[in-house]
Amino acid sequence: MGIPELKENWKNTINEVTIGATKEEGGTRCKTITLGGQSTLPFLSFEGDLPNKPVIAGYVADIVPDWPDVLKNAIGKEINDPIEWAQKNVEEFGVEAINMRFLGASEATKNRSPDECAKIVEGMLKTVDVPLILWGCGEEEKDNEVLPACSHAARGENCLIGSATETNYQTVVAICKADKHKIIAEAPVDINIGKQVNILLQDAGLDLKEVVMLQTTAALGYGFDYVYTILERARIAGLQGDKLMASPQLCDIGGEVWRVKEASVDEDILTGWGALEKRGPMWEAVCAGGYLQAGADLLIMAHPKAIKIIQSTINNLL
Amino acid sequence: MAEYNVIFYPQALSVRVQEGTILLDACAKCNITINNLCGGDGICGRCKMIVKSGKVKGEGTSQLNREEIKAGYVLACQVTVQSDLVVDIPWGTWAKEKLIANEDAQRFSYLSKGSSYAKNYEIKPIVLKLYMELEKPTLANVTSDLQLVCDKVREVLKIPSMQTGLKIIKNISKILRKYDYKVTVTLGLRRQIAEIMNLEGGDTVDKNYMIIVDMGTSTVVAHLVNANNTETMDGKACFNSQGVYGREVTGRIIRAEKVGTDELQRLLVEDINKLIEGLCSNNNINLQDITAVVCAGNTVMTHFLLGLSAEHIRRTPYTPVSLIPPPLRAVEVGIGINPRGLLYALPCISGWVGSDLTAGILATEMHKHDKLCLLVDIGTNGEIILGNKDWLIASSASAGPALEGASVECGVRAESGAIEKVYVEDGEIKFKTIHDKPAIGICGSGIIDIVSVLLDQKIINRSGKFIQGSHEGIFTRNGISHFILVDSKNDRTKKSIYFSEKDLENVIVAKAAIFAAIRILLKRLELSYSEINKIYLGGAFGNYIDIDSAINIGLIPPLPKEKIEFVGNTAIKGAKLTASYQEAFHEIADIHTNTTYYDLMGADDYVEEFRKAMFLPHTDINFWREE
Repeated sequence: MGIPELKENWKNTINEVTIGATKEEGGTRCKTITLGGQSTLPFLSFEGDLPNKPVIAGYVADIVPDWPDVLKNAIGKEINDPIEWAQKNVEEFGVEAINMRFLGASEATKNRSPDECAKIVEGMLKTVDVPLILWGCGEEEKDNEVLPACSHAARGENCLIGSATETNYQTVVAICKADKHKIIAEAPVDINIGKQVNILLQDAGLDLKEVVMLQTTAALGYGFDYVYTILERARIAGLQGDKLMASPQLCDIGGEVWRVKEASVDEDILTGWGALEKRGPMWEAVCAGGYLQAGADLLIMAHPKAIKIIQSTINNLL
Repeated sequence: MAEYNVIFYPQALSVRVQEGTILLDACAKCNITINNLCGGDGICGRCKMIVKSGKVKGEGTSQLNREEIKAGYVLACQVTVQSDLVVDIPWGTWAKEKLIANEDAQRFSYLSKGSSYAKNYEIKPIVLKLYMELEKPTLANVTSDLQLVCDKVREVLKIPSMQTGLKIIKNISKILRKYDYKVTVTLGLRRQIAEIMNLEGGDTVDKNYMIIVDMGTSTVVAHLVNANNTETMDGKACFNSQGVYGREVTGRIIRAEKVGTDELQRLLVEDINKLIEGLCSNNNINLQDITAVVCAGNTVMTHFLLGLSAEHIRRTPYTPVSLIPPPLRAVEVGIGINPRGLLYALPCISGWVGSDLTAGILATEMHKHDKLCLLVDIGTNGEIILGNKDWLIASSASAGPALEGASVECGVRAESGAIEKVYVEDGEIKFKTIHDKPAIGICGSGIIDIVSVLLDQKIINRSGKFIQGSHEGIFTRNGISHFILVDSKNDRTKKSIYFSEKDLENVIVAKAAIFAAIRILLKRLELSYSEINKIYLGGAFGNYIDIDSAINIGLIPPLPKEKIEFVGNTAIKGAKLTASYQEAFHEIADIHTNTTYYDLMGADDYVEEFRKAMFLPHTDINFWREE
């Protein structure tokens, strides 16, 4: 008697969400990306279909983030101009999408006006041909002005707009519907709120097939395990038939990892920890690799070396 | 220390107190009930009074605005008496109708006839009167006077054991001979033994009445019952005077530790006495003819009634002094009925699940059902009982008083003028008040309705946040969204009534606490909602609760309507059955024994379930939608 083949038979498939629109689809992108579509857990290709590989989006901001030199130097002087930075991401680092954050819109930084932000979006659309993920500065009041302007500037391009939370989702839903974009549903490391935000979006008239979930990302060592289990539980719920949890998921690795001391303080202070030049990108790559296992479909990453490692991980495993 | 006179208007009551007495305590001494919520912590701002003359001393408070301070307003719980005082208690600060009509009295008047007890058993009250014409002793047949009485009782009632006090025995000879051996004996049931409580000449059988009391944390309800036919003749209710020491029992336990349990006992017993006196005078009944008082209530109230210290109920491992106190003479605790009349405090289940629930189980007869039943009793706490004839499990969820109308800004108890129902007609949000009086606030059933209506009308979202611009009734004050139900702007004679996002939050917390408890009990027993055959929903909502609204906000799981029954005040009903049928009296002791208490404090998944329930109706929304 042979060993019985034990395969999980999931009831449901994760929603397929495409970001970016080609000329035929009303946009100007040469490439689009499609997330989700799985009928099983990550990398278990013997058990079900995994039609779309996880995607890496390159981190870009309109001002230079408060990052260690190790990362800034690895990106190069292009970091000083968002459009050049995006271009380098696509052409040299090989990312499939650009994640644009308007950190400079915050009053605490450059207090950039919505119009200026929109101009940058327009410039970026002309320069790079991959799909865009657009964020404000994270201050609700300001974002309520910045996001509509950016969304409008990119209308028809089928961007991914971040992010809809329990408190601001009305505005974000309205602009995504008006300008035909996809939406990021964000929850504060709480699987129940994650689901609740999706219900609120649905109640506001949004089709959940337009949603990518963000359970908030934690850097390795800073609650990684919490987020890991949430990603995993959400994915299992989605596969088990909970349509409200069947959305692809994204992780903002680059935005989180470079703020922790393990990825930003060199060995002159952390003696015995090894050179930051090596440790920093490793920290980002390990963190991203972990989340891939948990069920992340879209990874936002910053360091070119870390991006390379994860690209090869994905290609080796799938 | 100097003593001063404090006069309160409009009650025109005065009291003499020591210098430095807190004004609110002086008020309590006059038995004036204040609508305060925080038990004297100075945070609810509901004990505003105007000092007309005299001096008080106290700290400043953020609860009063500049005009109020100029006009002499003080927070009674934050100032002390420093001279003779004349104090005005404004409208709204004092509970206006100390005695509130109780419509349950009518509703439950004949209900016990519909129960299986009435079907299966003869009426046999726990204190009954028996008229006997005894055979006079002769030389050929010498029996002692006491034996003569006991033999006859045994013959008629088949009661095996009896006891008698010396006082009765001393008088037997005189009474038998004076009334020619035609006497009425009053028998009280003390667990398995009957006590000859009284012996009277002639036939007084038709004069036997009982008082049934529900000792609620916020409201005390008393019913007058004719012991001979179990008819409820009248009912009255009043606000629990202990309210001055806090809206919740924990606050009162803390106060009792300071001022003594006797003070809490006094307030409760005075409330009960007042209700009894009112019932007797309204119905031309002599206090002497009341032979029993049967009380149901939470365990802390039961302790206060008996003057027992409740301090260990609030500390782990939450031990009460007694859960199943023996019958006592009512007079021992100060209840004024027939001096030999008995007081039955019904058995409780645990420190946090009281005899109102044992009575509730008895009233719903869930302890006799083959199939799974769920009893949800919503008071200041939410209590949940799950089970059937084979097993019963009880749990208590600290829901807070929002569903009773407290901790909601315009919330009131279920009294005249309380908005008890909110509904939509021709696209407009409308409401109905109790007795159709001008609206004074919203009570529990109205609160459940308004949340449901606001949700259905998409004025709030499922997280309990107002959707700006969705309705013209939304206004913002101090950064908090409100929905206005009654606007005094156009009509100065009206009181403005609104419902705020904060109120909404309190309601969601309350319903989430209750629902999470339901979920955990089911989970522990590996059961699902769909296996529940019947949900009994009880509590102090007034006379009505909209089942659809309760489901819509996720207070109870969405079962077919015929499986859900609003049972109102089951404490009263169960206590009345206990009083009227000795079989029920024995059964309620069995219920006490057979019910397991499950403490949610020890449930590590409670917080997770609570979070899931903090949404309208619930994060697992599919279950609601599919039904």
